[in-house]
Amino acid sequence: MKKMLPESELARDERFVRTKIEDRLFDPRGPKMAQRNTGPAKMGVDRPAAGERSRSLMHGIFVGEIQALEGAGRTCYDFDDDTAPFQLKLDMARQCWDESRHCEISVKLGDHMGTEIGEYTESTFLFAAACNPDPVFRLCGVNRALEGLAIDVFSSMKEFGNEAGDPILEFCEDWMLADEVTHVKMGSDWLRRLTEKDPDRRERALEFQRTVDAIFNLGGFRGEDDENPIQLARDFRRLAGFTEDENDSLAALARESTAQAREMAELATAALDQSAQGS
Amino acid sequence: MTETPVSEAGKPRAPFAPWDRRELPGLFQVEESARRVGNYKWAEMRLFEVLGGWVATVPELDVKLVLGRHTYHHAWHAELWHKRLPELREMNPDRLTVPPNDEFVAFMDAIREPEAPEHTIEKLVGVYRVLIPRFIAVYTYHLNGTSTITDAPTIRSLKFALQDEFDDWRDGEMLLQSLIDTPEKVDRAGARQVALEKLYLASGGIAGPGSLGEY
Repeated sequence: MKKMLPESELARDERFVRTKIEDRLFDPRGPKMAQRNTGPAKMGVDRPAAGERSRSLMHGIFVGEIQALEGAGRTCYDFDDDTAPFQLKLDMARQCWDESRHCEISVKLGDHMGTEIGEYTESTFLFAAACNPDPVFRLCGVNRALEGLAIDVFSSMKEFGNEAGDPILEFCEDWMLADEVTHVKMGSDWLRRLTEKDPDRRERALEFQRTVDAIFNLGGFRGEDDENPIQLARDFRRLAGFTEDENDSLAALARESTAQAREMAELATAALDQSAQGS
Repeated sequence: MTETPVSEAGKPRAPFAPWDRRELPGLFQVEESARRVGNYKWAEMRLFEVLGGWVATVPELDVKLVLGRHTYHHAWHAELWHKRLPELREMNPDRLTVPPNDEFVAFMDAIREPEAPEHTIEKLVGVYRVLIPRFIAVYTYHLNGTSTITDAPTIRSLKFALQDEFDDWRDGEMLLQSLIDTPEKVDRAGARQVALEKLYLASGGIAGPGSLGEY
């Protein structure tokens, strides 16, 4: 078996439907959706289509967990013992088990919430972050950026479960949240250990993390305002070892992405209006 | 309050209870136990790495999740052996973390070879019908042969590892039985097993010739 598996070769059964991130971003239905004023985007039980949105998010979590499992597994395999220390591989193996359980939990929660495998599409850009040829970059992109995002997602879903009076959802999200805090800690620990004598490599790895963070802030998906479906979970992030500066910087990045998304939506709306007047 | 004696505290008792049949010595010197433990660690490492690598290459969701779980089991065994080596006077565990011979490397390379998504049966046969039954055998031999008193820490780790090996073997075998649903697939599984067993035979075993003792 070769080292470094491209994301196009991820193995799936026939239920899964894959889409590219650009297809989502340039979906022509997007601007029309943006025209509809449906109030704040923050997840809440009183939101229009709250059930549909939470099921879609749950499916997104499920496919994200599969890719996190695959990414951790590849980090066990892709590197020789000199590039990735034995203890790092042990941590990744432990993460495999955790992500495997998260997949199981997500499938059962999907059933519980009334959705099924393949009902929504899968984008594989999470795995793409796990394909970097430098293990330190992988750990920054996956364990710090994406597992950090998972902390925000699970915290938001846990709160949603609580508001919705769904103890099963709240219970499961809380358990997964505990694992994600551990995974972020692993990432921070290995970043520090592997770049102790190489500040340049550390800075480049952190830059990669910021890029991944920015991708997942796209369209204002995450932030601290009512416009953001996923809320930044500062307390849990602190527990995972993120500093206040890091949290502030991520919040600023999220505000920037939200403003860009708002601007793009306004431009698209104006273009649609103009097109309607012309026809 | 006056204390009433309830037992005869000063009465001598045997250091070993009548039911404790542990004996000195065992089959292995310290060096031999360490050598074997180093071979186990090497093989467990190569196994957990490939299980992790395969997760992304198998389309069957249940297999994918089981491989994810088993990846950790074998990594944990490797960690147990890694920690045991310095206790067996090997202060540089990497020195003994080696395969027993080149033939065993060739066997492990063959185990790790399948990649394509349609080769799940070949992947599972190698691990669950060839390698893990041999882990069970070599661990059991060590467990039964080593001194139950002097090498007790190795025995404790062997028992933990064996429990996982039995459970994982059962998981893998049940997956295989559910996947092998045509006569052609029976042939595929059989051919794969035969090819790997021949390679294993040439190596003499996970700990080389004498893995299961000498007759």
